[in-house]
Amino acid sequence: MSDRLQDLAARRKKAMAGGGPKRMERQHQLGKWTARERIAALFDPGTFVELDLFTTHRSTLFGMDKADAPADGVVTGYGAVDGRLMYAFAQDFTVLGGSLGEMHAGKIHKVQDLALKSGAPIIGIADSGGARIQEGIDALNGYGEIFRRNTLASGVVPQISVIVGPAAGGAVYSPAITDFVLMAEGIGQMYITGPQVIESVTGEKVTHEELGGAHTHAHRSGNAHLTFATEAELFLGLRRLLRYIPSNNTAQPPQMEPQEPPSGSAERLRGIVPADANKPYDVRDVIHSMVDGGDFLELQPEFARNLVIGFGRVEGHPVAMIGNQPKVLAGCLDIDASDKLARFVRFADAFSIPLVTFVDTPGYLPGTKQEYGGIIRHGAKVLYAYSEATVPKVSIILRKAYGGAYLAMCSRSLGADAVLAFPTAEVAVMGPDGAANIIFRGEIDSAKDAVAERKRLVETYRAEFASPYIAAAHGYVDQVIDPAELRPAVARALWAMRHKREERPPKKHGNIPL
Amino acid sequence: MRRFRITVNGLAYEVEVEELASDGAVVAPEPAVQPAAPQTQSRSAAAAPQPPAAAPAPAAAEPRPKSVPQQAAPAGAGAVTAPLPGAVLDVKVKVGDTVKEGQVLAILEAMKMENEITAPRAGKVSAVHVRPGSAVGLGDAILEIE
Repeated sequence: MSDRLQDLAARRKKAMAGGGPKRMERQHQLGKWTARERIAALFDPGTFVELDLFTTHRSTLFGMDKADAPADGVVTGYGAVDGRLMYAFAQDFTVLGGSLGEMHAGKIHKVQDLALKSGAPIIGIADSGGARIQEGIDALNGYGEIFRRNTLASGVVPQISVIVGPAAGGAVYSPAITDFVLMAEGIGQMYITGPQVIESVTGEKVTHEELGGAHTHAHRSGNAHLTFATEAELFLGLRRLLRYIPSNNTAQPPQMEPQEPPSGSAERLRGIVPADANKPYDVRDVIHSMVDGGDFLELQPEFARNLVIGFGRVEGHPVAMIGNQPKVLAGCLDIDASDKLARFVRFADAFSIPLVTFVDTPGYLPGTKQEYGGIIRHGAKVLYAYSEATVPKVSIILRKAYGGAYLAMCSRSLGADAVLAFPTAEVAVMGPDGAANIIFRGEIDSAKDAVAERKRLVETYRAEFASPYIAAAHGYVDQVIDPAELRPAVARALWAMRHKREERPPKKHGNIPL
Repeated sequence: MRRFRITVNGLAYEVEVEELASDGAVVAPEPAVQPAAPQTQSRSAAAAPQPPAAAPAPAAAEPRPKSVPQQAAPAGAGAVTAPLPGAVLDVKVKVGDTVKEGQVLAILEAMKMENEITAPRAGKVSAVHVRPGSAVGLGDAILEIE
């Protein structure tokens, strides 16, 4: 028996050594962790159960018969994160460059299937040179089956991608299908076609980092939800994100001890939104002043900054927060903001996280760039996502709520369960200037002093209609509140909707405008 | 197809101009711009235009992909540009000022909002292109930071 045990110990040791000490060292020199170090940072200490340690490839072509691939270049298994079951796979760059072959992919498929069956989140940690070319179409098929499983699991179990190495070509589609993408700066890179291919085809010169680094995906493409300076910060951030997310679509999001917002928040709320509709402010100040502990986890903070999304808690319960950002692009909705909003709303709806929406937008951003870019179909996603959502929906109109953008931002018309408004709210079919031009065209044209008459009529319209009280009179706004009452008002509305049930007609799936 | 002769720095070029269909389709391969035989001017030597020191590079001679997008008015690397078309209400810095990242540089009234234009990074203001009251279009440079 002891021989057998020694043999087992030796085999384990060899498989755990990955690509060997030299390649591990090289990984560290690049400022990167090894696959097993990443797994250790993700899971609670001592809880990780590794599967398929002894799996290896069965390819014999192109010298692969001599290639040694411990664990076939990917560490897979399950463990506990804050005591909750989660699955993970981490590609090991020290073994054949983390390349994805048939068996490597098969190990990933196995944990994907287990996560789906057991209703547990799955975290994919990408650090791979791409498909193992020697394994040809079997490697390719491996990717395809990952994508299909990602899709089938979407909306059933949360899926999160961590990009801490290269992810090029087909490898980026799996992260794209998953719910959240986290990247480490200077380490993680994603692109469909790399710099060499781009240069040979279009003549554009671009570095790997410029093309697909964390900064690019955080600022320009919006593919990354969170980016971090180091891997250590990334895994702490990932664990923080997971605290807002339930294990699956039938589980409730994790509750915590309720906490008060920072002291003085109620009073501060009275001074954040300026009564003058031309003055900008930071909508995140409103959010910070009403969530538990002032703790708000903003997602995609650098992308489409005219719209803010993220998670916070209200009386211990996770809430998905969405807010127009008046200090960027005047808070207009545009193509990127619409995409950002709709996907977040759909995640929250799929995973039973209530929606709280802060409205202050002059409308959709005008311009040929937006129209030619398809703002019609992108903007429609906002309406679709909110209308489709059956989780509790609470909206607070802080200031401007005009026209189509008012409807889009989770209005009563789209099925908001509670609509609150600050006294500064202006709910109308359009802004006073535009409306006066149309309604009073005759008066303005026939006036001796058209400019003065126009100004007078704009003011008349503003005084009469640019308030929350007509919307409140017609039942589109349920309560007009003192800003200092924001948190208790939202908390009660969410409490009242905690057991909300709203049925939808059976269907295969809807057809969201994409 | 129309043909023009254009003289640049004393060197004559024959240029063929073709109107494209509205979908941008080019019917025939685009003829490259070619220098015509340099015209020997028969006027007095003193008045003869100086031939350029170096032969002008026939930039368009190389066949290139047609769809490389061209920026209409490329702003300098350090340019802070208008995120919205609007009117400048206030400029809060002047040339030579040192600014911090996130510092408010100017106020742009657009979409009925006094939008703060902030510094994308720290640096020194090397040029200011606008004054209060200036109208700016989307992407126009407001000022430069070096």
